[in-house]
Amino acid sequence: MSAGPGPLLVVEGVSVRFGALLALNQVSLEIHRGEIVAIIGPNGAGKTTLLNVVSGFYHPYEGRILFDGRDRTRLSPPDVAALGLARTFQNVALFKGMSVLDNIMTGRLLKMRGHFLLDAIWWGPARRQELEHRAFVERIIDFLEIQAIRKTPAGRLPYGLQKRVELARALAAEPQLLLLDEPMAGMNVEEKEDMCRFILDVNDEFGTTIALIEHDMGVVMDISDRVAVLDYGRKIADGTPDQVRKDQAVLDAYLGVTHD
Amino acid sequence: MIYREAGQFKTTYASDQAIFPIVQDRVFVALFALAAFVAVPLVANEYWLQAVLIPFLIYALAAIGLNLLTGYAGQLSLGTGGFMAVGAYAAFKLTTAFPALNILIVFPLAGLVAAGVGLVFGIPSLRIKGFYLAVATLAAQFFLIWLFNKVPWFVNYASSGTITAPPRSLFGVMLTGPQATAGVRYLVALSMVVVFALVAKNLVRGRVGRSWMAIRDRDIAAEIIGVRPMRTKLLAFGISSFYCGIAGAEFVFLYLGSAETLAFDIGLSFLVLFMVIIGGLGSVLGSFLGAAFIVLVPIFLTNAPHTLGFNLPVALQKQIELMVFGGLIIFFLIVEPRGLARLWQITKEKLRLWPFPH
Amino acid sequence: MTETLLAVLRPFAEIAGSPAFFIEVLIGGVCAGLMYSLVALGFVLIFKASGVFNFAQGVMVLFAALTLVGLLERGVPLALALPVTMAVMVALAFAIERMVLRPLVNQPQIILFMATIGMNFFLEGLGEMAWGANVKKLDVGIPDKSFMVKGVQINQLELVAALTAAVLVTVLAVFFQRTRIGRALRAVADDHEAALSIGIPLKTIWVVVWSVAGLVAIVAGIMWGAKSGVQFSLSLIALKALPVLILGGFESVPGAILGGLIIGVGEKIGEVYWGPLVGGAIENWFAYVLALAFLLIRPQGLFGEKIIERV
Repeated sequence: MSAGPGPLLVVEGVSVRFGALLALNQVSLEIHRGEIVAIIGPNGAGKTTLLNVVSGFYHPYEGRILFDGRDRTRLSPPDVAALGLARTFQNVALFKGMSVLDNIMTGRLLKMRGHFLLDAIWWGPARRQELEHRAFVERIIDFLEIQAIRKTPAGRLPYGLQKRVELARALAAEPQLLLLDEPMAGMNVEEKEDMCRFILDVNDEFGTTIALIEHDMGVVMDISDRVAVLDYGRKIADGTPDQVRKDQAVLDAYLGVTHD
Repeated sequence: MIYREAGQFKTTYASDQAIFPIVQDRVFVALFALAAFVAVPLVANEYWLQAVLIPFLIYALAAIGLNLLTGYAGQLSLGTGGFMAVGAYAAFKLTTAFPALNILIVFPLAGLVAAGVGLVFGIPSLRIKGFYLAVATLAAQFFLIWLFNKVPWFVNYASSGTITAPPRSLFGVMLTGPQATAGVRYLVALSMVVVFALVAKNLVRGRVGRSWMAIRDRDIAAEIIGVRPMRTKLLAFGISSFYCGIAGAEFVFLYLGSAETLAFDIGLSFLVLFMVIIGGLGSVLGSFLGAAFIVLVPIFLTNAPHTLGFNLPVALQKQIELMVFGGLIIFFLIVEPRGLARLWQITKEKLRLWPFPH
Repeated sequence: MTETLLAVLRPFAEIAGSPAFFIEVLIGGVCAGLMYSLVALGFVLIFKASGVFNFAQGVMVLFAALTLVGLLERGVPLALALPVTMAVMVALAFAIERMVLRPLVNQPQIILFMATIGMNFFLEGLGEMAWGANVKKLDVGIPDKSFMVKGVQINQLELVAALTAAVLVTVLAVFFQRTRIGRALRAVADDHEAALSIGIPLKTIWVVVWSVAGLVAIVAGIMWGAKSGVQFSLSLIALKALPVLILGGFESVPGAILGGLIIGVGEKIGEVYWGPLVGGAIENWFAYVLALAFLLIRPQGLFGEKIIERV
């Protein structure tokens, strides 16, 4: 994918604190269009916090976040989503009471215009819009091969399929930037291969920029263009998979050298 | 064998999204509608209309309203009685101030007033969740009832403190007031509830319903994927109160004839909540089933001892009714917490397979 | 405009003008508040240990009082009637655990709440059927007379009630914080399955808790019953306890005390001094609006834990 003017996402010196705990400490990161960036690090390093602050769920107490060149540090989550950012969650956050189809359709909510009075009447613009979006969502369902479970309530699916549905929901929003929080956690080898294939396809076909948190080093090394490593809220390395693999600080963090 | 979908392929998304996708369902509903609109007013006797069917239809409307708020949007509300009262008193003030205004327009207007009040009392939902929100709605309930009690303007300074539905007609047919026949009032209530049930179904199967359910199931994730909580919750409160307001107006104008605030007290709020829970949270059909259950059980309990040959003293009967009612609620919640609507779904699934067991 | 302002401010002058009366109202509020706390305490206990908001707590208070009065009326001496009533409440706790709690063990809170409302109806019917529906006088040997202290009138019965409530509340607070069983109860409230997996006997705990709540109900029933007679409006106390719980948090024993006091005092002062401005009877909704106002500032109540949302 051709690189646009400047990086898609710039995180600049961002710190997040919860009371006395500094979850993120002056973290800076750039993500360029079309890249697949992996964010790795030991548990508690602040990876999910980083995604949360990019989503607008937490506000940093210092630092800036720029999306597409514009400062969006103080935006609320729905506004951030409107800018073109979609994500999946560490503990699958599907809407358990709705079917798979409805869950994915919620991903389209930002694209759906309309007034509730028109919805109340149904026949006319509301119905047309609904069918258009349904057609789009069906393409995603085909793409991720989940046709058979369309009408199943999301709460009843096995974990691996739930993760896939969550991915579908994120894709439904046609995001510019896709944030995936441990998309392969708890999957077996086959499921992981499938997921990798989907992620690569999404990046190839739709040009979506992807940032993912992942623990499986094999996956990380295979599919990412760049890797950022977090430890105790700080970024300790940033480069290509090969560079990071050989970085001393990274090795220390993973092998557990004591820090002061 | 009869209730089978085999051979009915849905070739368009439109047919998949329809309210009644299966032909058998459509036929059944058409027959049912025919029976309800035509057969019942001709055949049913006064008692059944007045004591069972009319209140059932009105409660069903209120239950749909509450279900939209609590079942679909996940906002627990114990203020239903208060909002119904707003609708009733608003309708009363409107029709006495503008007697020429068609009563069928007064009802939705009263609903709008109730919607406005609902919006105001829904504002705390932006900060408060779950049980705590229930307390906010209780504040609404108690405050509104107190207000209607204290301020004589609401009852047009009547010394009795009650509001009475003045006679109103449409095309020469009396709709409200002592001259209005039970059959006519039944048809009005039926038409209203059918129209608004359809509207509710349209809302919940589309964009609005999904944003409500997203907030209900995981409000934080919903926000992150772009659902705006304030707009969504307030819409739920507004629409729900609209429905409850109309139901309240109908309660006085089509059923009771006249009422005082006691009719709308906290007991009513709990009654409608029972209907929604027993019928099924998050189901329009469930609201009907729950309303039917709540209306029929006391009638059954009152009449059963007679038919079985006993004759119990009134006080004892009331006490047993209370116990059976409470017991039934617990029983239901244990057996099927998702309500009658779920039981109905299970029945349909079994019907599909009949006569095979699985 | 200024007239309204003056009208609203005038009560302050009244307060300053006759401090003795104000103290009387205050004491009345504190006593009422402590009684609210007692009832709220029953809720907190059950919520802490089973995560259930027991709407039927009010009816349990009523039931306890009814049983006690019923026994006393039949000539059973107080020393025997009290333990028998306790036994009845324990039996009730067993029954509730077996027939309501166990089958509903993993259901969402609202389902459990509705079940307790069902219990409410059931116990109301049962109580009425067993003991009759008329108001009963409960005599526990404390005269309902007032005496004067430094120009302030204090009612003896209210004083004893308040002291008893204070003692009970303190004992329970210590019980929860310091003893092993108290710790076990807190564990159960937090996570049923986790507690089970470390060997805490869930069923026993539940019976214990509901029995203790029954005991609290007896005390509350005696106090309320002695004051205003045993009647069915007692079961509506449940609703009044809600604002107390809002203020104090649903899981905090000290919170129930403080919340009860605030509501009791607030209500009394509001009714006596500002009530006449709007025609009186603001006690009906004042507590809720007060709770609502607090909630808007602190959504978790005074003592509740700050809800940190994680994604």
